[in-house]
Amino acid sequence: MKSFENIDVKSVKEAVTTLQRLRQQGKTALVVSGGSELLQLMKDRVATPDYLVNLKSIPGLSYIKEEKGGFRIGALTTLSEIEENRAVQEKLLILSAAAGEAASPQIRNSGTIGGNICQRPFCWYFRSASFTCLRKGGQVCYAVAGDNRFHAILGGGPSYIVHPSDLAPALVALDARVRIAGPSGEKTILLEKFFVLPRVDFKKENILAPDEIVTEIQVPYPKPQSKGFYHKVRERLAWDHAIVSVATVVQSRGEICQDARVVLGGVAPIPWRATKAEAFLRGKRIDEATTEKASEIALEGATPLKDNGYKIALAKSLVQRSVLAAA
Amino acid sequence: MEEEKKKGVSRRAFLKGISGGAVGAAVVSTGLLGPNEVEAYPRETVAPARGRKTVSLKVNGRLYRLEVEHRHTLAEALRDQLGLTGTKIGCNRGECGACTVIVNGRNVYSCSQLAVWMEGAEILTIEGLAQGEKLDPVQQAFIEHDGPQCGFCTSGQIMSGKALLLKNPNPNLAEVKRALSGNLCRCGNYNREVEAVLAAARAR
Amino acid sequence: MAKDFSVVGKNTPRIDGYERVTGTAQYAGDVQLPGMLYARVLRSPHPHARIVSIDTSKAEKLPGVKAIVHHQNAQVVWSSGGRTAKRYIFNNPVRYVGDPVAAVAAIDRHIAEDALGLIEVQYEKLPHVLDAKEALKPDAPKIYPKGNLSVGDGNLTAPITDEWGDLEKGFKEADRIFEDTYVTKHVNNAQLEPRVSVAKWDAGKLTVWASTQGVSNCRTDLAKDLGLPLSKVRVICKYMGAGFGNKNQCQDIDLMAAVLAKAAGRPVKVEFTREDDFIGMHGRWSSEQHYKVGVKKDGTITAVELDALTNVGAYRKSTGNLSGTDFYQIPNFKKTVNPVHTNTVVAANYRAPAYPQSIFGFASFLDQIAHELGVNPLEMFKRNAIRLYKNKTPFTSNYLEQCIIEGAKRIDWTQKWHKPGAAGGTNKHGIGMALGGYPFRPGLGAATIRVNRDGTAHVLVGVTDIGTGAKTAMAIIASEALGIPLSQIQLTNGDTDVTPYSVGESGSRNTAFTGPAVIAAAQDVRKQIFAVAAAQLKAKPEELDLKEGQVFVRADASRKLPLSKALARSGELIGRATTNPEFKGVEGKSFAAHFSEVEVDITTGHVKVLRYVAAHDSGTIINRLAAESQIKGGVVQGIGMALTEELLIDRPTGMPINPNYRDAKVPTHLEIPEVEVIFIENYDPYGPFGAKVVGEPPITPAVAAVANAIFNATGKRFKELPITPDKILRALYV
Repeated sequence: MKSFENIDVKSVKEAVTTLQRLRQQGKTALVVSGGSELLQLMKDRVATPDYLVNLKSIPGLSYIKEEKGGFRIGALTTLSEIEENRAVQEKLLILSAAAGEAASPQIRNSGTIGGNICQRPFCWYFRSASFTCLRKGGQVCYAVAGDNRFHAILGGGPSYIVHPSDLAPALVALDARVRIAGPSGEKTILLEKFFVLPRVDFKKENILAPDEIVTEIQVPYPKPQSKGFYHKVRERLAWDHAIVSVATVVQSRGEICQDARVVLGGVAPIPWRATKAEAFLRGKRIDEATTEKASEIALEGATPLKDNGYKIALAKSLVQRSVLAAA
Repeated sequence: MEEEKKKGVSRRAFLKGISGGAVGAAVVSTGLLGPNEVEAYPRETVAPARGRKTVSLKVNGRLYRLEVEHRHTLAEALRDQLGLTGTKIGCNRGECGACTVIVNGRNVYSCSQLAVWMEGAEILTIEGLAQGEKLDPVQQAFIEHDGPQCGFCTSGQIMSGKALLLKNPNPNLAEVKRALSGNLCRCGNYNREVEAVLAAARAR
Repeated sequence: MAKDFSVVGKNTPRIDGYERVTGTAQYAGDVQLPGMLYARVLRSPHPHARIVSIDTSKAEKLPGVKAIVHHQNAQVVWSSGGRTAKRYIFNNPVRYVGDPVAAVAAIDRHIAEDALGLIEVQYEKLPHVLDAKEALKPDAPKIYPKGNLSVGDGNLTAPITDEWGDLEKGFKEADRIFEDTYVTKHVNNAQLEPRVSVAKWDAGKLTVWASTQGVSNCRTDLAKDLGLPLSKVRVICKYMGAGFGNKNQCQDIDLMAAVLAKAAGRPVKVEFTREDDFIGMHGRWSSEQHYKVGVKKDGTITAVELDALTNVGAYRKSTGNLSGTDFYQIPNFKKTVNPVHTNTVVAANYRAPAYPQSIFGFASFLDQIAHELGVNPLEMFKRNAIRLYKNKTPFTSNYLEQCIIEGAKRIDWTQKWHKPGAAGGTNKHGIGMALGGYPFRPGLGAATIRVNRDGTAHVLVGVTDIGTGAKTAMAIIASEALGIPLSQIQLTNGDTDVTPYSVGESGSRNTAFTGPAVIAAAQDVRKQIFAVAAAQLKAKPEELDLKEGQVFVRADASRKLPLSKALARSGELIGRATTNPEFKGVEGKSFAAHFSEVEVDITTGHVKVLRYVAAHDSGTIINRLAAESQIKGGVVQGIGMALTEELLIDRPTGMPINPNYRDAKVPTHLEIPEVEVIFIENYDPYGPFGAKVVGEPPITPAVAAVANAIFNATGKRFKELPITPDKILRALYV
């Protein structure tokens, strides 16, 4: 790691003003919470900040509270705490499962929900300092001509990363919102709107400005008669990212779908909400035929690169399986 | 190593002396020590002051005072400065688990935590498991069930097993496997490590 | 049959278990010396380039930097690193991404790493070739002046050929002839301990704390490459975090440590990062194997012809051979294996170097042939199991057929086997098997045993213990041979200033080479004991025996004396032996038959290994506990190689893109079932206490056993490793 200074901030406000000040001084500063993911980037010298602004020193940013129609989860809450929380397990259908599928126990013990949704890509070209790729200020997305077996089939171009978060698809499927603190105060937006496609900005994965931080995730209670399903397919059963994952929430009355959320991970640079498939499912009887059709619709427009065409069949299977399971 | 030890110069031997309570004149002071604090071995450094910090680490019930660079990980501080080399570094990127220690009751990768983040935390390493001569049940079971082959991942496997038993004293097979899933063993001794943790749970 | 032993063959916990579970075992990386520097290595970012200039002035000015070495100021030959062309620790031209260019020693590892970024190297890029087949084309870039076919000197020749019988006649006798090609990939040894070396000079004497599989060979190589007498080099390795073949002998890192320590005038610890270890050392050679096999209708093999390419990477460090046909009775045979140089990571020894990839090819193909003939694979493998080495020479012992029978029984083959692809549901069940093993050969060993006057003993052996339990095995053999309880035996190993020669832990040779020396040293000291005790027991020395620490008259066990009394006045006795037995007219092999049951989720392509049975003939088992662990471990590595592992090289740049555990996908706890181990115990007349070899064999059939089970589950034959979900989904849907 390049030499840097770690700054322990004591409040959200101090974090923001520190980031602002450092930026004005022309210094690079990065926000750190759990640390595992960022330190790896720094060890590989892909990230070379002058300063780390450590949020772990802020008291009171780790909590799981229930109030007014849903949960509020502090940004520093660890994945293990989310996975093990009884109320989350009972009421948030798929969030505990998604948290429990991330990386490894040690990572879940230190990794936070805020950090998890702000992860940088795990694309091997991005992660290697030897490749100055598009996302690092270069001219090329090396995945296009290179080995792209794990890259995007949807929403790609000019960069073809896939979003690495396990929690994000689940949170989007649960209509979660994210609270962001910045120089002009705090705002809360739909998590779905937090992520950024490369065609909008290929250098970042979300809308956060350099002096903004995530402080809280808000998850409403799912509607009554809702069921959820989360499944992650990967080569190794621990410490591996999704080849394709799916987070599905279906609200049904009898066998008829009232509303659905189908969000895919591992297929696109953002958690990929299959909006058209959701609309198709609304009002339909959930059976083999409708779910098969829904899975076709979900993958409409998927454009494989040379090595990742298999993901289409896989994603279709998962969409179908998940809607059947959640109905 | 016998000869090395006799010369009395290895840092390890030196530190063993310290932890035995023999704090002597050889210790370079970086400030006032509390009654329970131990000065760690100082590092040769040329780092500018802003990249350095004196921290107090509570490791295995003992308070160590040491100066680290901000970029030093907990694993480096434990190994290089506290002489606690039972914690191994297999990948230094949070992927293998050889560096696993228990921080505030949870197992984490010590290579993926900065030492400066650890002020005030309760850190338990492999060296802190045994009560005097009496091994922890997980350690004992690892001997009896042939848990270590090359032994390089062993400390980490044991710490993850220990962390599990702290939370769940009666785990089943699937729970043990899952709890150890962040610890790679390239010797492939997974069956043995799982057996050992299950046996340790039964022995308690 | 197994003989009656007092310690051999039991479940004995390791004698160094305490050190291994308390963190007190000292590995090379744990060594801390006063004034010690830390070093890091700069590697080539190009697959093939000439270094035009190297400017270290900026790096030298970085505070804390103490020494920098590179091809100009440290032209040191690394003799164990190259078999065909002369290889240096720093080469110019550089021949693969990862070829070491320079090393920096500094007061802190981070400063050393900072300094790497300040070294300015000008490269002139040369054309490169990554693929073995491409490399043999006439217009391919030449990595060596003579071309890219690795024509070896020393003990190797290339292409590697072997032949017996009459191939043409064999194919004429066949009812059917089959031909096909199988492909395997580069996989890394990926041992948990990254390579590390600490070197220190004292008045012209070099001490190296190495992570080596053999201290004696490491010393020999260091002395040769640095021009030192053997007496001026001391290599110490008490514990090491495995190697599986890529820490044999001396590595470039040991030479770098020595050179840097000399240049800096201070001890130096060179640490390879995990990435260094993946790309800067070596893994298993990849291969393309073309088989032509002649069979009778009942499956009996009449002839086999193998034509293959192996990719040994930029430098030749091992054979590049393929030996997977070794376990079958083949009357007419011919093989041609061409090891090829490419501008990729070196490929050399990884646990049973020439076997698992080769057995994947041949045992998959036999399974396929059985399918096409309508013969049950169990029958196919049993019918063709080897009886005579190269259809000629008898084995020292051979219980392969019993392995097949017992293994099949345990997994319940006759009930579980079904027509390929015939199982219902989305999670398709399958079962598969394959045969394997590894050569067992005798060789040079040495041991010293000191029996103390109180009746305890101290065994000195040069062996390293890379995780196999070699120390414990040597102590058990000593205890059995001496007649002194295991608890009374101390063992010192792995220090060339103290312990006698050992071949080191490679090729499963510890027990076979050093075991006989321990027995001979024990016999030597027993003679001395009996000479001393004879007068006290009023008997002739040859009438005496020693068991459980008691010297007694064989004909009348009541006339006995505790060893401590017998030696009270004689003092310490020392037994020594150097042994070098040979085989005459026989060949040795350990054998194995493996069986696996899998479930393939045809919607996700995920393969789950449900059950695994490994049946082994390794002669006498010295320590059942550790031997079973060895078998289990080999199988785990085989499962990884079958299902997930591969070092990927970016085609356009030649750059490895997944040199880490996460992306190279080494198996975790969650992929591994209980591995059931069966030992067909027997007494090999040539092995120490009847033992053959254990460490290498278990990985050999594991890849094929899993692959054949996937075929049985899906009805699809996967001819290329690893069998990942993408390949399965493509085979099923695209």
